[in-house]
Amino acid sequence: MNRGDGIQRLRVAALILGVASALLFTAWGGGHAIAGAKTILILGTDISDTNSLDPQRQFVYSAPITEHAVYETLVTMTPGNYKDVKPLLATRWETVDNGGALVFHLRPNVKFVTGNPLTADDVKFTFERLKYLKDDASALAENIARVDVIDPLTVKVTLDDKTQPLLPFLIAPNFGIVDSKVVREQGGLSTPDADKNDKATTYLDQRSVGTGPYTLARWSRSTEIELVRNPNYWRQPGAFERVLIRHIPDSATQVLQLKRGDIDAALNLTFDQLNALGGTPAISIVKGQSLDFMYIAFTSSPALSPPLSNKLARQALMYAIDYDGIIKGLIGGDAIRPASFIPVGLGGSTTDLTREFGYRQDLEKARALLSQAGYPNGFSFDLSYGSGADVGGVSYEVVAQKVQADLARVKIQANLKPMEQGNLRTAFRKGDLAATITFWNPDAMDPSLWADPTVQRVAKRVRWEPDPSIVSLVKQANGEPNTQKRDGLYVQFQKLLSDQANLCVLFQPMYSHAIRDSITGYQLTAAGWQADLYDVKPR
Amino acid sequence: MSRNYVLARVGVTLVMALAATLVVFLVAHFIPVDPVQAQLGDLASSKPEIVARYRAHWGLDKPLWEQYLIFLQRLSRGDLGQSIATRRSVLDDIKQYAPATFELATLAILLAFSVGVPLGVLAAIKRDSWLDHLARGTSLVGVAAPTFWLAFIALALFYGGLEIAPSPGRLDAGAAPPPQVTGLYLIDSLAAGDLRTFGNALGHLLLPSIVLAATTTGVITRTTRASMLDTLGQDYIRTARAKGVRERAVLLRHALRNALIPIFTLGGVAYAQLLSGAVMTETIFAFPGMGRYAFQSAVVLDFPAISGMTLVVGLTYLIVNLVVDLSYAAIDPRVVRR
Repeated sequence: MNRGDGIQRLRVAALILGVASALLFTAWGGGHAIAGAKTILILGTDISDTNSLDPQRQFVYSAPITEHAVYETLVTMTPGNYKDVKPLLATRWETVDNGGALVFHLRPNVKFVTGNPLTADDVKFTFERLKYLKDDASALAENIARVDVIDPLTVKVTLDDKTQPLLPFLIAPNFGIVDSKVVREQGGLSTPDADKNDKATTYLDQRSVGTGPYTLARWSRSTEIELVRNPNYWRQPGAFERVLIRHIPDSATQVLQLKRGDIDAALNLTFDQLNALGGTPAISIVKGQSLDFMYIAFTSSPALSPPLSNKLARQALMYAIDYDGIIKGLIGGDAIRPASFIPVGLGGSTTDLTREFGYRQDLEKARALLSQAGYPNGFSFDLSYGSGADVGGVSYEVVAQKVQADLARVKIQANLKPMEQGNLRTAFRKGDLAATITFWNPDAMDPSLWADPTVQRVAKRVRWEPDPSIVSLVKQANGEPNTQKRDGLYVQFQKLLSDQANLCVLFQPMYSHAIRDSITGYQLTAAGWQADLYDVKPR
Repeated sequence: MSRNYVLARVGVTLVMALAATLVVFLVAHFIPVDPVQAQLGDLASSKPEIVARYRAHWGLDKPLWEQYLIFLQRLSRGDLGQSIATRRSVLDDIKQYAPATFELATLAILLAFSVGVPLGVLAAIKRDSWLDHLARGTSLVGVAAPTFWLAFIALALFYGGLEIAPSPGRLDAGAAPPPQVTGLYLIDSLAAGDLRTFGNALGHLLLPSIVLAATTTGVITRTTRASMLDTLGQDYIRTARAKGVRERAVLLRHALRNALIPIFTLGGVAYAQLLSGAVMTETIFAFPGMGRYAFQSAVVLDFPAISGMTLVVGLTYLIVNLVVDLSYAAIDPRVVRR
């Protein structure tokens, strides 16, 4: 064999490799696209944060869409209406003991997926387990003093603090009722030692024991969650035999899969990607108003920033920001803005109020306030934000740059300080930052969950000691049973908070998912579970 | 290569892997991030009882030295502790994520060697020919193209545009994985006699492994070419040819065999890197592997997971280097005599 033969063999080897690759592609390449099939619903989303499907433990962003499909709560809320609590597993309820307790009447003839009937014992077990696990979600049940079974279909929940509401909390998937018989068999506990001795989570991570339209068949971490139809469901059965929640961490990959028809809905697309999908045949964008917002927290601490400790200087900052420019320019108008720290849609907060007493860009007023504050030539401060993260499809970084440019127009220099998210959260929660762009999203649907923190834990983060009159105003609003009066008190509170100028809400984004026309009934909710899969039907 | 040498190598690297966990442990604790604040929700983080239980549950209320001692004690029992973020055993996490990465990296390194070595040899033999230019050009692209870009372009072209590649992920949507034995879908599906799932898994592996192999292929091609050029210029090659040794034997037995040592060294390091650092490829191709697991653990300061992964990556380098060292003996008998 000569030199040429050796080369020839190498060429042949390369050719064989190429042909083999091509064969592999053609043999298996097409895959088996099943999205669009009328029996299977496939969602593409990032589920990397899902670390448990135990309803009393999970407390991350991506898990509730699954939990809401497999567990049901006593009460719920419909998309867009976050004031009215609607019946679900409870058909009615009444307040007793001068507002110190609520009595719930359970829907009869409801069965768990396990075949066991729903009873008041299950409600008692669920609520007490949530409370005593002392896990992340347990804070939601902190106000529950005790749960008493009146009869098999009646349960009484007594509160620790009757001035604090309970009903809006009960819509959270963490209050999803579990079959207590099965959970006990699997080592679940509802006693005060549950935090140490409860063993049911391993089971609940692979099997659901709820009353929802679907049931958990399989969860492969960071890969796929598979739900199947619950044969015992008390309403019309779920429209799909199976629901697959596919883990697709990259949003650009979600777009490709949606276009190919391999998924029916893409849940984590950016503003630019959603825009680019506009007009694509067979794909539409579903929007829903969120109750989240991006905001800037300015400190009151002279040690962290002497200028920011001056209320007039903070007000000047808030008059210098171009809110409309952020909403229209950075997120294509897909957002609104509340007047202060209660989102539009709750607690009497409306966009009319924003126009009435919210801040808007007024550079002359900003300059005048700066002069009054003793900073006619402006000042500088550090503006921190999380790097590599976004809200409503726009990154903190882009918003920070826009705010920096706006403030420069009144000679205020914002020094941008990108920080790793964990680092930022630690420093912010300790109250160590002069100004922070961050994000607020709700744990449940009551305005008290926004108002309370502003005079408590968030106040500490901005080193503000609220006047006792504001604190008592918040407490009074939280406990006010009359909705109209309550809303009025929250509006009064928002005016005071707005004047204080520690918290500058930049925008309240819309949620946007892209879906294929193979499905219908897909609605977004701000209540915490993104979409109710029971409402989704094949077209 | 004596048995003592092998044992000493294993021992030293194990100690180094342990030392690396200590360094990672200390560094992780000295950065200004509180893992409780990084993990707990806003409301729960303001409840002292929940915070205290959380710290106690994860051992974060203990002094640093004690936390590390507990880690070592557990390690001696083969237990890497429990991940704070995923809330289950780190070993279980690694058992789940390692096979995906192992399959991906192994196919990638096989592809890189299968393409890189012949291409490098051809380029060296046909120096300055169109083939050489082509090999150098393509290897340059492979080395220079950022993986995330290459991954997305490949996916957009073959999956989105030409529609000949399967969807991202390890299997088609809804396809059940084969019964778990090793966690390697290719092996497990064959063991179960399930050729459909084998084909499904192989199809899903192909594109991400080509993307992952691109950089390594480029490096191997260039190194092979340089190493072969160096070897082909040696006196003993000229002597061999002068003695009338067949060209195939000159190229394969005399030249390539001698040129292989740096290529194997490089390949070993590249393989270990592929096993521990395929984050972007895993993200874009929705491949649940160790790269993403390590990345996410670091982001949320999941100490047990970070320490466990450090140990695993350390051991990976140990094993790969050991195999590479042992392969020297097979390639070059002089290594054994030394």
